[in-house]
Amino acid sequence: MDAHAAHEHALPLAHAAAGAVALAFGSAPLGVLLVARRMSLVGDGLSHGVLPGAALAFLLVGPDPLALTAGALAAGVLVALLAALLARARRLPEDAGFAVFYLSALALGVLLMGEAAEAEELLHLLFGHAGAFDTPGLLLAGAAATATLVCLALFLRGFLAESADPIFMRTAGLHGGALHMLLMVLVALNLVAGFRAFGALMTVGLMMVPAAASRFWARAYAGQALAAIALSALASGAGLLLASAMHAEPGALMVLSAAGLFALSGLFGPNGGLLQSWPGRAHLEG
Amino acid sequence: MSALRLHDVTLGYERHPAVHHLDGMFPEARLTAVVGPNGSGKSTLLKGVAGALPPLSGRIDLGGLRQDEIAYLPQDNGVDRGFPMTLHDLVSLGLWRRRGLFGGIGREDRRRIDEAFAAVGLDGFQGRPVGSVSGGQLQRALFARVLLQDARLILLDEPFTALDARTAADLIDLIRRWPREGRTVIVVLHDLDLVRETCSDTLLLAREMVAWGPTDQALRPENLLKARRLSEAWADHAHACQRTAA
Repeated sequence: MDAHAAHEHALPLAHAAAGAVALAFGSAPLGVLLVARRMSLVGDGLSHGVLPGAALAFLLVGPDPLALTAGALAAGVLVALLAALLARARRLPEDAGFAVFYLSALALGVLLMGEAAEAEELLHLLFGHAGAFDTPGLLLAGAAATATLVCLALFLRGFLAESADPIFMRTAGLHGGALHMLLMVLVALNLVAGFRAFGALMTVGLMMVPAAASRFWARAYAGQALAAIALSALASGAGLLLASAMHAEPGALMVLSAAGLFALSGLFGPNGGLLQSWPGRAHLEG
Repeated sequence: MSALRLHDVTLGYERHPAVHHLDGMFPEARLTAVVGPNGSGKSTLLKGVAGALPPLSGRIDLGGLRQDEIAYLPQDNGVDRGFPMTLHDLVSLGLWRRRGLFGGIGREDRRRIDEAFAAVGLDGFQGRPVGSVSGGQLQRALFARVLLQDARLILLDEPFTALDARTAADLIDLIRRWPREGRTVIVVLHDLDLVRETCSDTLLLAREMVAWGPTDQALRPENLLKARRLSEAWADHAHACQRTAA
């Protein structure tokens, strides 16, 4: 099938834009938390870790989008939980645990994909297929954003405390572990919600790049989260327009737009942007 | 609360004891210093009492105290200075026991937070990011959090290291007030003059108990000498300990 034609028919721009904005509301605030915890690459790991679940679903059910999504979600959550458990048991630093589990999952996924002869749907998972924002896809993106915002509203204090001062959390008799796992599950959910449309890796880009850029706009979490949502939505809009003008898959253009916004933020951002702290600028009075 | 009792407690890492067969009692509403050479297990003991390190053997009896009625200020405070959080956010965590995960912070709470900032001399620093203040200012903020925690048992691990004399003196005044408010305070200190001046009781530790009681008796020269000798014994290839409870 002519991918180009499919793109034209299956992706009304409005659908993709709605999905992307939903993703921005869900994934950008999570990205800010991950950046603050120095776990920026965890999303990357998770996005690879979903592969065996999707491949297994493909082998068992066939190229059914719902089955693929469910399989991917299950695998992603499993990888996240195993890494978090290992870190909680304080046997390994969390990123090392992630490396072990997601690379194992990736290897398993490659093996399973070899079994699935016509794995085009699977390739779509990794690199995106803009037609995926059909109604169920949109619903999933909306659900992920809603779940994320509700959880953040309920547990933000816990997420922040658990990240900034884990010793306090532990000795105050609070359940930091459960919160941490909830955070990882939310990350997996948001990645899966985005990845059929924009590709697993590109979805991580939309989570992390605006989050990193938001550091230049605000000093505390709330401001950074709002900035990240705005930047992510802006990048998605720009990417989608560019993609429809260039007849290209939108995921990559969305992430590149986010990268452009990151550069602008790094230059002009009021919180440690390059111009703001340019050598030679007069220092302040106090 | 009744007193905090240690029943033949051994604490350590990877089966190596750092605190070995410790028996005794921290009297209620008193200020007890924990003193000893480097590596004598002082921090490990506090970690154990705080519930951050389960004992290898023995039992720590908190005397009916709940975990969240303990305030613990570790030596390496573990606060991520790069985290996008203000001092106000950090200090207000001290209200956790009362407000929990969901409870909102009301006007009364705000007043208490501001009072705590004033009590540690940080008035006006509420909006500063944790990464932009000095180590001493962060330590003051953590004391403000301890104030808000309103804990019955307060554990402080070398709280004055790297503080200027003025800051240390301010914080010592705060600590002295706590036993009078019925709080039990256990504080790890190195400055023996300060211990003699401020602490009614002292536990002299050198992986094992050397002396435990009124400060002037615990800190006798022969005890200090014994502590230094004991702490120098450390085996890389130790055998399993056969000692049983006395």
